[in-house]
Amino acid sequence: MSEPAGILGFMTLAAEGGHGAASSGGPAWFAAVPLLPLAASILCGLTIAFRVKTKLPAVITVAALAVSFGVTVAGFLSWSNAGHATQIADIYEWIGVSWGSDAGQTLSAKFGFYMDGLSWLWMLFVTGLATLIALYASEYMGHDVGKGYGRFFAAFALFVFSMACLVMGDNLILLYLGWEGVGLCSYLLIGYFFQKPSAVAAAKKAFIVNRIGDLGLAVGIFLTFVTFGTVEYGPLFEMVRQGVDAAGRPLSGQWQEWVIPCLLMIGAFGKSAQFPLYVWLPDAMEGPTPVSALIHAATMVTAGVYLIARTMPLFLLDDSHFALTIVAWTGTITALLAATIGMAQFDIKRIMAYSTVSQLGYMFAGLGVLTSVGAAFHVFTHAFFKALLFLACGAVMHGFAGQLDLRRLSGVQKMPGWRIVGLTMLVGCLNLAGFPLITSGYFSKDMILAQAFTTPGEVIAGSRWIGWILLFTAGLTAYYTFRVYFRVFVGPQHFEPGEELHAADHDHHGGHDDHGGHARDAAHGHDGAHDFHPHPPGWAINSVLVILAACSFLAIPTYFMMTEHHGWVGSMVHSSTAFVESPGSHHVEGAHAERLGTFLGMDPHKVMYYVSGLVGFIGIGIAWFLHLSGRTGAATSRADALLPMLGPVPRWAQNKWYVDEFYEAVIRLPLWVLASLFHWFDKLVIDGLVDLCGLLPRWFARAIRPSQSGVLQGYAVGMAGGLAVILVIVLIVMGANV
Amino acid sequence: MSTLLSLFPLVAMALPLLGAVLIAFRPPGRAHRIAFGVSLSVLLLTFGMMQRFDWDHGATYQFANSFAVLPEMGVHLSYGVDAVAMWLVILTAVLQPICVKASKTAVTENHRAFYAWLTALQAPMLGVFFARDLVFFYTCFEFTLVPMYVLISLFGSTNRKKAATKFFLYTFTGSIIALAGLVYVAFTATKNGTVAWTFDIDTLASAARGMTLSEQSWVLLALMCGFAVKVPLFPVHTWLPLAHTEAPTAGSVVLAGVLLKLGTYAIYRFVLPFVPAAVVEYAGVIATICVIGILYGGLICWVQRDVKKLVAYSSVAHLGFCMLGMFALNMVGGVGSVLYMINHGLSTGALFLCIGMIYERYHTRSMQEMEGLAKAMPVWGFFMVFFTMASVGLPGLNGFVSEFMCLLGAFQSGAIGIGRGGTLGTLGPWYAVIAGSGMIVAAIYLLYMVGKVVFGPLREPGDHGHGHGHEAHAEPNALPRDLTAREIGVLAPLALGCIVLGVVPTPFIKTLEPSVAAAISHAQVAAKGALSGQPGVHEIAEARP
Amino acid sequence: MNTALSNLCLAATTSGDFAPIGALTLYHFLFVSAAMFAVGVIGFVSRRNLIIMFLCTEMMFQAAGIALIAFSRYHLNHTGEVFVIFVLTIAAAEAALALALVVWTFRRKATLDAAAWSEMAG
Repeated sequence: MSEPAGILGFMTLAAEGGHGAASSGGPAWFAAVPLLPLAASILCGLTIAFRVKTKLPAVITVAALAVSFGVTVAGFLSWSNAGHATQIADIYEWIGVSWGSDAGQTLSAKFGFYMDGLSWLWMLFVTGLATLIALYASEYMGHDVGKGYGRFFAAFALFVFSMACLVMGDNLILLYLGWEGVGLCSYLLIGYFFQKPSAVAAAKKAFIVNRIGDLGLAVGIFLTFVTFGTVEYGPLFEMVRQGVDAAGRPLSGQWQEWVIPCLLMIGAFGKSAQFPLYVWLPDAMEGPTPVSALIHAATMVTAGVYLIARTMPLFLLDDSHFALTIVAWTGTITALLAATIGMAQFDIKRIMAYSTVSQLGYMFAGLGVLTSVGAAFHVFTHAFFKALLFLACGAVMHGFAGQLDLRRLSGVQKMPGWRIVGLTMLVGCLNLAGFPLITSGYFSKDMILAQAFTTPGEVIAGSRWIGWILLFTAGLTAYYTFRVYFRVFVGPQHFEPGEELHAADHDHHGGHDDHGGHARDAAHGHDGAHDFHPHPPGWAINSVLVILAACSFLAIPTYFMMTEHHGWVGSMVHSSTAFVESPGSHHVEGAHAERLGTFLGMDPHKVMYYVSGLVGFIGIGIAWFLHLSGRTGAATSRADALLPMLGPVPRWAQNKWYVDEFYEAVIRLPLWVLASLFHWFDKLVIDGLVDLCGLLPRWFARAIRPSQSGVLQGYAVGMAGGLAVILVIVLIVMGANV
Repeated sequence: MSTLLSLFPLVAMALPLLGAVLIAFRPPGRAHRIAFGVSLSVLLLTFGMMQRFDWDHGATYQFANSFAVLPEMGVHLSYGVDAVAMWLVILTAVLQPICVKASKTAVTENHRAFYAWLTALQAPMLGVFFARDLVFFYTCFEFTLVPMYVLISLFGSTNRKKAATKFFLYTFTGSIIALAGLVYVAFTATKNGTVAWTFDIDTLASAARGMTLSEQSWVLLALMCGFAVKVPLFPVHTWLPLAHTEAPTAGSVVLAGVLLKLGTYAIYRFVLPFVPAAVVEYAGVIATICVIGILYGGLICWVQRDVKKLVAYSSVAHLGFCMLGMFALNMVGGVGSVLYMINHGLSTGALFLCIGMIYERYHTRSMQEMEGLAKAMPVWGFFMVFFTMASVGLPGLNGFVSEFMCLLGAFQSGAIGIGRGGTLGTLGPWYAVIAGSGMIVAAIYLLYMVGKVVFGPLREPGDHGHGHGHEAHAEPNALPRDLTAREIGVLAPLALGCIVLGVVPTPFIKTLEPSVAAAISHAQVAAKGALSGQPGVHEIAEARP
Repeated sequence: MNTALSNLCLAATTSGDFAPIGALTLYHFLFVSAAMFAVGVIGFVSRRNLIIMFLCTEMMFQAAGIALIAFSRYHLNHTGEVFVIFVLTIAAAEAALALALVVWTFRRKATLDAAAWSEMAG
């Protein structure tokens, strides 16, 4: 790599080591990974059709997902043993059109799999987490056995199928199938409580906002195809590696260089809830908590990160990194914005939702500052601890009849049966807050932060500012995370039950477990804590929480494996198209090193451990001071005294900076007005013109109507007169001729 | 092709006509059964045709034959099907028994008239797809109006007379103008009267291609006047919502499923091969109209209060995609467009069926009166969401494949300067991008409909607070709240079709390729001629076959 | 009467065309025909009694018949005569129908006044 620009000299395009050795005849049994969940989904559908009133759908789903996970592990091992070469397995041709035999004259989208490190990494945690969360849901959704239970698991399994297509697909169109498929499942699951208007609205919003991103992705796919004449990763990335299009013309300097990544990026922003398309994700918390945990925290929302990581070679084509700069800054702004909103919310699930948006912002910033390894590692660790946090919140919600307000719950951890939930919640919070050394979230966040300071500003504009903002946001994250923990799980014991979500369906609950009776009382009684008993989680929920907590710890050693690639995740990314040689990753000496950014004059990768750890401590400390120490009740804390000093700012933050209202006023309402205008225009002008055309003959007829007198003799005179006139004309004409 | 096989189309057309006569002379109680039997036999017949069809030579006309009707005038009863026509024939044949079955309880009086006209309607629809002679084609094309007029005006809802009249007069007026264009072409083919008249479509096509650009443009205008009304494209669409809304369910299904396709098929069959130079010249204009229709129709859907009208307007938007793909004048767009014809017939037809089932139960289509019906009718809710998703273009279902291909076709068209995936044509990326935002609009209005009608707290029309809809059992037609086995049987084949066409579209695409290639080949040549003058395009255009 | 008339014509023109036989030429026949037709038209227009009007139409028929036969004789072919036979047949059938209608209309309105029927007024 000896480009004259010098500054870019240490960056290479993706993965000579990886997909260069792609083998096209990959094993077709990988197909079991997506197809098993699909089969489970169909079976769950059949259980609805046959009115199964047991937990059979959960059994089917958990079993299928577990086997799917097993197949993934087996596939991963075989891939590892085969030397990390990309494996491509084509099952059949899904869409194929051909209009010539030249390159670029065939549109072919196969149902096939492109298995490199990135796909395996994603599939491992997707199927693994899906299995665990399905197990959790089998208990969590117990209220709905025989009603929505089958529907829930059918959509759940369908989601895993779609996600597998998204991740494993060997072309952009199959990715698009998964992309929209997960959107559908997200729609169905957010709207699971379909009689609740807010859930329906949230589901609709999620789908439509995602569609905006999908349009970007679709147009990106069109442009990719038109430029390269293929949508399949193998040939596509080969061309990108050589920097040519299908005709062999160099791409350098072409406008597609930056337009394609920008379009793909829009798709990623939609799916991964980045500014300005993030508004759907917090509302998506209307869905059942396992859904929030799996889809809206751990897996689906990382699809955007996956997309950019997968198409990283396209992003790197552009020497000016235009798209990546936007990615980095969008991620940063989203991280900060969502964190400020999260600080002011009272609904613990919503706080987690905003923290997800914020953490996704970190991942995008990581991609933007050229550490796809850091981004992928953060996706990996975040998947575990965020799922854990959601599931713990879900356990609370489940046990306290839907109560999610942190002002109405306190000291939950000390209540009987809640110890495991509290402790695992603590683990999750520590991870999210980036508590030093013992949490995986700490290491993954550090990679991104340090890289932001390392990457020179000439490569990604303002990368140092990105670093500072993200560092500040890390402090905010620690604060709002522990605000939840200190308010809800420790402190004086207090609780008020919530409005049970399932209240409408409670008349069917006779056969529920021993706590069902209490839940019914809570729903019908409405007189608060007097006859309400919290409903601690059973074995399924507890064991899943423990496993996830353990996983979030187990992610730490992976960071210290294979250090030449920056951890196990790094090695996976290294053998994939996502690989990008981060600036400074090999501690280059000499001229290049001088251009690298520093943090307070030192190597950011070494200093950041201390700095971010300190920031985390400060955040936690503030949270402790404001929300735990000296707190006597659930509803108030020292923070309340602080709020008036900030003026209206907390209220603005609590109202999400009025972004939803802004969109309503600027996009939805004008569009609706336009639609109404069109409606009336259609009715009055266009259809009016048509009716006018219909009226013209009628008016004409009305004008000549009096000639029809209805008197028989009148017609006879007309006939005779007409005949006479004709005769006269004939005579004149003939006379002229004669 | 043996003579025996060439009888297939004739029999397929004769069966519905004879069936209609039979229905008219048998007791009313038998009408439904006879109609169903006839439609099933036509279906079996077309399956037989499909079996015997030589898919490897999809561009050649098969089952072809010709009988002289007025040899002095050059009128022949000549027919034959290529791959595109074959699939549309199958679509027509598949929808017919479904319509008959769906009408079993919907039609409460005058059974004989309803089933006789519904059955008779099938013959001219099939005839349009079979025709290889212009007079035969035009006769069938116009004859579809009569049964449809009767179905709407006798069996429609409150505003049926106006709807039927408007439907008839509007489309008829348009067709007359198209006829003028076609007759002009036929006159051209006689070389100003020196050669005997002929109405053979292939002969006319080659004669028409010999016309000057200005002649071609006028013929294009005349043809589009007629056929665009039928499609319908943007400014001439207003008959459609009215006719759809007022028509009985089976009428709406046939209207959306097949009658609109007569317009698109006619454009495919006449406009593209007849006047390729004018098509290349004006493809941009027509595509702009399509794009306007996509967004305009979509947005209007969003403010509808009548659920059937919403779906009707969605046809305007959907067929905009279809025509956009066709005027991309390349293989991806063309195949996508033909697939769109079939897919729209399945998914929109099914949506009309779903709405008809609601109408039968509650006698209203107002979205303000019903909400959250999934609670009362879960099976219906499933189908409604399913077909909505097919309509919204969800990958894995049929709508996606065709919509994606139409948009990609428009994107590629004329994009040869961008890269290897571009093709000749005169549209370009912007058409696809703006039309693509129709995907968002489609999500908005269809999810608005689903969110209103299927989801939400249950509110059934008619129960004003007292009782909870259980008295639905007491109604005279005694339909249960949720779908009956018959109704599921009506929807299930369509759902199956949606899945099959969405999951394995390639075999269908491959059968369509030769036929579409033949249809667009002349336009491609014209586009090449038009573009070869431009700098930078030349060498790429030359490299293409 | 018609038969007698045509016999007369036949007798009058046997010896050849253009030759005036006695005082009777083609123009005489045509004059009679035109006069009868005019009487018929005037009668139809001026009278309001349905039966009289009907008789007037019959008179116009006969006028046309005379003209046809005259020309037939004049051109020495039988086309006109054949036509007249058709006309007579149809006139007979029509007379039956028309009289039935007159009876029916009389029953409906108890009058034979044609002005009683003016529903076709625009």
